[in-house]
Amino acid sequence: MIGNTKKWIGMAGAISVLAGQFLVTPASFAGGDKAIEEGKKISFDRKKGNCLACHNIIGAPSPGNIAPALVAMKSRFPNKEDLHKQIWDATEKNPESAMPPFGKHGILSEADFEKVVEYIWTL
Amino acid sequence: MQKKLLLIFSLLIGILCSGIATTSLAEDTSAAKVQKLIEAADAARKQAAGVGGEWRDTGKMIKKAKTLMEKGDLVKAAKLANKAAKQGHLGYEQAMSQKTLTMPSYLHYE
Amino acid sequence: MKQLFRQMTLMVITCGFITAAQATTPEEDLAAFQKFYKKRFPNVETSDFVNGAYSIDPVGRENWEAIEEFPPYEPFIDEGQAMWEKPFANGKTYKDCFPDGPAIAGKYPQWDKEKGMVMTLPLALNNCREANGEKPMKYKKGSINSILSYISFESRGQITNVEIPSDDPAALQAYEDGKKFYYSRRGQLNFSCAHCHLQNAGMILRTETLGPALGHTTHFPVYRSKWGTVGTLHRRFTGCNKQVRAKPFKAQGEEYRNLEYFLTYMSNGLPLNGPGARK
Repeated sequence: MIGNTKKWIGMAGAISVLAGQFLVTPASFAGGDKAIEEGKKISFDRKKGNCLACHNIIGAPSPGNIAPALVAMKSRFPNKEDLHKQIWDATEKNPESAMPPFGKHGILSEADFEKVVEYIWTL
Repeated sequence: MQKKLLLIFSLLIGILCSGIATTSLAEDTSAAKVQKLIEAADAARKQAAGVGGEWRDTGKMIKKAKTLMEKGDLVKAAKLANKAAKQGHLGYEQAMSQKTLTMPSYLHYE
Repeated sequence: MKQLFRQMTLMVITCGFITAAQATTPEEDLAAFQKFYKKRFPNVETSDFVNGAYSIDPVGRENWEAIEEFPPYEPFIDEGQAMWEKPFANGKTYKDCFPDGPAIAGKYPQWDKEKGMVMTLPLALNNCREANGEKPMKYKKGSINSILSYISFESRGQITNVEIPSDDPAALQAYEDGKKFYYSRRGQLNFSCAHCHLQNAGMILRTETLGPALGHTTHFPVYRSKWGTVGTLHRRFTGCNKQVRAKPFKAQGEEYRNLEYFLTYMSNGLPLNGPGARK
């Protein structure tokens, strides 16, 4: 009985530490649909991702035509990590690329960056 | 009864602990330390400027970090100083990467 | 024999130096630059590039032609003429500094061998003022735009013909520095001038057509609707640098003067049509 109680207390403690993390830190790992939805907002924001300045996204208002339309991303980047690298610093793959290095140059915060990758990968 | 109390107690401790863990940054940022961070940021900015690679907002960030420090908001000041320092390093690195001119491949010389 | 040997070594060294320092000549740069636009926009007359984005954007052109019917820069031309004619406190005028004036825009920028630097029209105007005990004008905003509007208007039709004197290596160096500036990435967004105005000229950035660099210098100073006034070429450089999130350089400082030298040279052969009107 005593041993059991100890276990209980330990587990409750562990859970509450986790709960505390969620209460204290902003929801950086909100995950799932919420991250995708936020990623979309950041991608469309002219002061943040501003993807539409150069890329078309189906259904988006007044996109540019400088770079390829963002469609069929999962077939273009079967590996999410490759998409991550491309948005982080496109000049790695193509030294003449005009795409700003959103990750490398800190144009987006790390949390925002991850959400943008999540969203773009759904396109 | 005792069990219940212990349970509540451990819950509270847990929340408290995680709170301390995430704000511990604040605890070891003394004004002197932040001052050093700001100085380092400004040195990085100057290094970038020396090669024509300073970015637009780096100077503004340093200025803002100073104001925040004076107001006693050390955590924010330290964060901003670190961000500015990173910009200084990146701006310098960028200018260095452009040191030798490479003409674009789409320009065709005969 | 020994002397011959020495001469030969010297020749080899010079030859190596020249190829290393200067892979292409300005003439070759110019040919490649202008050829690029001809290939991308085969239906645009070369001389029409002086109209910037409107040479390639028919809808924008219609709006612009409507604006040009009542040019927003006209009052500035009149004001500039009054400035040109009004004597300085010492009784002299701009004409004493520029006997060929006011139609002198086609002579600038030019290499000033004595000073060892690129001389631009705004700088020459201020040199004239200071030599006559007058206060210099600011280089981005204000009255300088009026006198530049007048001089540019009087110079319309002159042909851009920047010279890089071959007898002064420093002139070529200034050109090379300007060229390097043009093709170098800068700022947090990591763009060079060429990324927008060469590589992607004619493409749409959000809703705006990116203007070709060919002809960029011919229509300055320019009335920009965004500014609500006339501004100088160096003010525009400042704006471009800020847009890519780089710290801008000083107007009429060495960087922008050399950039102007290179960029104007790239438009050699195009007629001047300033002042212009732009969105």
